[in-house]
Amino acid sequence: MAELRYIGTETPRPEAADKASGRATYIHDLQRPGMLHGKVKFSEHAHARIVRIDTSKAERLPGVKAVITARNTPEVRIGFLRDNFALKGDKVRQFRDEVAAVAAIDAETAAAAVELIQVEYEPLPAVFDPVAALEEGAPLIHERDERGRPVTSNRLPLTYRHDSGDLAAGRRAARHVVSGEYSTPLIQQCCLGTAGCLAELDGNGHLTIWAKTQIPFLAQRDFVRALADLGLKGKNARVIVPTLGGGFGTGLDTHAYEYLAILLAWRTGRPVKIVYSREEEFACLSPRQSARSRIEQGCDADGRLTFRHVEVLQDNGAYASWGATYPSVMMLPATSLYRVPNVHFEATLVYTNNTYCQAMRGYGNPEITWGLEQSLDDLAEALGVDPLELRLRNCNEPGEVTPMGLKITTCGLRECLERTGQKLGWREKRGAGRPGPGPRRRGVGLASLVHVGGGGRIYRSDATGVILKFDDFGNVNVLHGGVEMGQGLHSVLSLAVAEAVGVRPESVFINQTDTGTCPWDVGTHASRGAFMACQAALRAGAKARQRIFVLCEGIFPEEAERSLKALRKKNPDYAPPAFDLRAAARRENFELEGGTVTIKGAPVEPWLRVELSRILRGAHFREQGEMLTVEAFYDPPNELPDFERGCGNMSACYAFGTQGAEVEVDTETGEVRILRLVAVHDVGKALNPQTLKGQMYGALAQGLGYALYEEVVTEHGRIVNPDFRDYKIPTACEMDFPIDLDFVETNEPNGPFGAKGVGEPGLVPTAPAIANAIYDAVGIRIHDLPITPGKVLEALAAKDSCGR
Amino acid sequence: MKRYEYHRPRSLEEALRLKGADPGACYVAGATDVMVRVRAGDLAPTALISLRGVPELRGIDFGDVGRGARLGAATTIGEIAAHPGLREAYPVLAQAAAVLGSVQIRNAATVGGNLCNASPCADTAPALLVLGARLRLQRPGGHREVPLEEFFRGPGETCLARDEVVTQVLLDPPAAGARSAYRKQGRVHMDLAQASLAVLVELDGATCRRALLAAGSVAPVPLRLKPVEALLAGTRLDEGVLAEAGALAARTVAPITDVRATADYRRAIVGVFLRRMLADLRDGGARPARRPA
Repeated sequence: MAELRYIGTETPRPEAADKASGRATYIHDLQRPGMLHGKVKFSEHAHARIVRIDTSKAERLPGVKAVITARNTPEVRIGFLRDNFALKGDKVRQFRDEVAAVAAIDAETAAAAVELIQVEYEPLPAVFDPVAALEEGAPLIHERDERGRPVTSNRLPLTYRHDSGDLAAGRRAARHVVSGEYSTPLIQQCCLGTAGCLAELDGNGHLTIWAKTQIPFLAQRDFVRALADLGLKGKNARVIVPTLGGGFGTGLDTHAYEYLAILLAWRTGRPVKIVYSREEEFACLSPRQSARSRIEQGCDADGRLTFRHVEVLQDNGAYASWGATYPSVMMLPATSLYRVPNVHFEATLVYTNNTYCQAMRGYGNPEITWGLEQSLDDLAEALGVDPLELRLRNCNEPGEVTPMGLKITTCGLRECLERTGQKLGWREKRGAGRPGPGPRRRGVGLASLVHVGGGGRIYRSDATGVILKFDDFGNVNVLHGGVEMGQGLHSVLSLAVAEAVGVRPESVFINQTDTGTCPWDVGTHASRGAFMACQAALRAGAKARQRIFVLCEGIFPEEAERSLKALRKKNPDYAPPAFDLRAAARRENFELEGGTVTIKGAPVEPWLRVELSRILRGAHFREQGEMLTVEAFYDPPNELPDFERGCGNMSACYAFGTQGAEVEVDTETGEVRILRLVAVHDVGKALNPQTLKGQMYGALAQGLGYALYEEVVTEHGRIVNPDFRDYKIPTACEMDFPIDLDFVETNEPNGPFGAKGVGEPGLVPTAPAIANAIYDAVGIRIHDLPITPGKVLEALAAKDSCGR
Repeated sequence: MKRYEYHRPRSLEEALRLKGADPGACYVAGATDVMVRVRAGDLAPTALISLRGVPELRGIDFGDVGRGARLGAATTIGEIAAHPGLREAYPVLAQAAAVLGSVQIRNAATVGGNLCNASPCADTAPALLVLGARLRLQRPGGHREVPLEEFFRGPGETCLARDEVVTQVLLDPPAAGARSAYRKQGRVHMDLAQASLAVLVELDGATCRRALLAAGSVAPVPLRLKPVEALLAGTRLDEGVLAEAGALAARTVAPITDVRATADYRRAIVGVFLRRMLADLRDGGARPARRPA
């Protein structure tokens, strides 16, 4: 690509005005004629047999149009392991299990009706600890598999394992070995827009569903299957994505409430909307997976890593979502963050009676990097080398193929590490044992990450499509199946289309994501949205230019001569320069920039500049006229890994980054104050620095929350802090420190305009960077997130008693 | 949601009459606590009687320091936090008000409501306890005054009779040499207190003539730390005394473990806060309140 005009500029996102002024239409705002409101009756036990459900009182409540249970509706199985049901018939396996649902004329009536449903349970022994759940004789969460065969263990039927090199040799070669156990909690994605959907069946039995999803086309597949379960075989499901108030992974699966809305719409013949309250969102929507890891790694006398051994135990909760595939991403840092030749990785996933979990930004990566990067600091200390130096010695390099088979094309990790060190004042501050005011101590720490940056093939296709539909006014209407959920996809896509076609970004309009109109896309996950959309846009843009320039051969000279005629009428003295327009008007000579067509090498004359709209109208309004619509479908050069063997180049390129923290620890109250965060990320190329920075600031806030505040607390499977009163996320008051954000532009050849995907990386290394800074300040290690003041005080007390 | 009758009386007399006619009705002012409980289904009043428009309950009467102050019970927390006279005469109260909830909550919530809700973590309660506040309670045909300390009976429970309403919070003029401060600890800035501490000392140089201490979120009611007050009375506030006072405070409180903090952590920070706050007050006055959320 020649010089870039729009990509790389700080451009406000196109939907900003509507969002800021309250015009954007979220699911919560949607209304349909005759629409009913649905409400779900959730389980009151973590594990119990359902003896009886009495819905008679609810059915008699005026305004109630339908009450459904597993006993009066067809079975609808959900989840990629088909282990979940829209409505539970025999038993409940978690507190939030759906046992009934109501549709009523308004939300209040539906809520009142749900209260009138009486369910008789026979409680069963429950298990909440993943280790206990693996023991012999533990209560079985699922007695049978999808095909009805008896199951003997709570272990999920998923294998994630990687073995590379010679681990024993790696151990022998190690002069220093460190090991540790680390854990990360359940956390909530905390989308400002809570979950919800609106389902409607037409007279032919086709479904339209407005859904909060990141996977409209995989959702379509799920819903078509559910329609078949209802006897509507062969009927279509059309998924429309309205404005979303955040996704963060919650839209990677289809959810029971969506099937319940479909069932209620089917039962009543009317559109049904279900929207979760904040409390329901906390208590009944799947949080991020919790994970326990055991990490052991060693290095030789020069500080070269010789082996790494990582074992993960993941509490899956009662059912499997795509979150059960976290280990597919955990493998990435385990095998490929810094150069390590001999690696063992293994993950075990366990059903328990806890709330079932799902995807969240980072998808397994923060869970592992939390331990890996602390362990590296331990190793540096064992070796007696500065932690930054240890990382530089083992730094990933361009051209490297990692033990997992990841082909590292570009890699800015070295520069990320070095710049982070400079910005933090590493040399002066690290290990200096600097006192703060009174009993406070200051320290610095850093941590890095590697993540997929060029799509992430976890499905047979990792592709996306884009359609560019040109109109008579020179506008480009874009149809794309990716999802704008607040991250800025539409902003970079409009810049990319403008750049690729040669029109101004103001002439680019991104249409609503709709499976009925947009080409297929696997989903907006794995930091792939902008990467994929821009790649498809580049290809579609190139096709469009080719077509436009062919049209120009006939139309451009006509239009230019018409302009010349008009010019002469106005200014009879005008003498045009000598130029053979007809001879020059060949497809290879045209140029299109900013919505205007010119001829390369032609004199700079106003009449030799023809607006694209005139070319398009010239093509449209003639005999056998045509209008321009082009499409492109892009599937990146990556491989579907073999996760049982743990190898495969799952992404077309990889994103790297380093974050640093300077903290002040109050040794008497245990409070950790962040004095400064530094984040330097290899983004390939900043497509729109404004939205990129927004995404990074948001990720850092989430990373900070993960580090210090956030945890869904459960007691015997029940969530005890299902609200923002007791589930704390950072607000502006917590983000009161300077953030030094910087980008390394490695100009990735596999990336659009040189860019890599960067949606997730911003929150991956924040927590371990803070933990490493705390260690620098006061010499304690917290292995279990979040790092609360209480844990800090306990660790300080333990350290004191050891020291004596 | 259930619909409620909503009354907005224009006088105290009218408010009392409405309540008399409908004993199941609930008084509200800022409604920042009541409506949360109503929506959660924990409270089902027959009607709501708003006290916002009752002139007798509004306003801060603070002419000069020598006369003390009278705060209308429906004075908002924000008004207290911003009042220059109160900030100077009763820093502990202004500081507590400044860290209660969020800006939006402070603009709606009232001091009377904060006290009547009788939460162990109410921010204004420890501050008003160390200021020796009295409450004026009005009932049809009469009124009484009770010391705030006798007002709280348990979590959510007060000595308020069914037909009574709090009309005023009464404060004596600050004693000579009095210095005071409030600190609270939350998981984040905008949080209910994991523990809070109000300290008022009357100083003669570095010698403490009298100390009044009250802690929040460490007992079923906002708690005066009387054994620590006794320890401090008449002593010189040197480092040894401060450490001893902190340790005694940690032993005096009776916190529980819940989702916000462990009992051990609450004990620990009450001790640390006391030590630090006493040193700050001794060395120069009121420590600025934690930056409001």
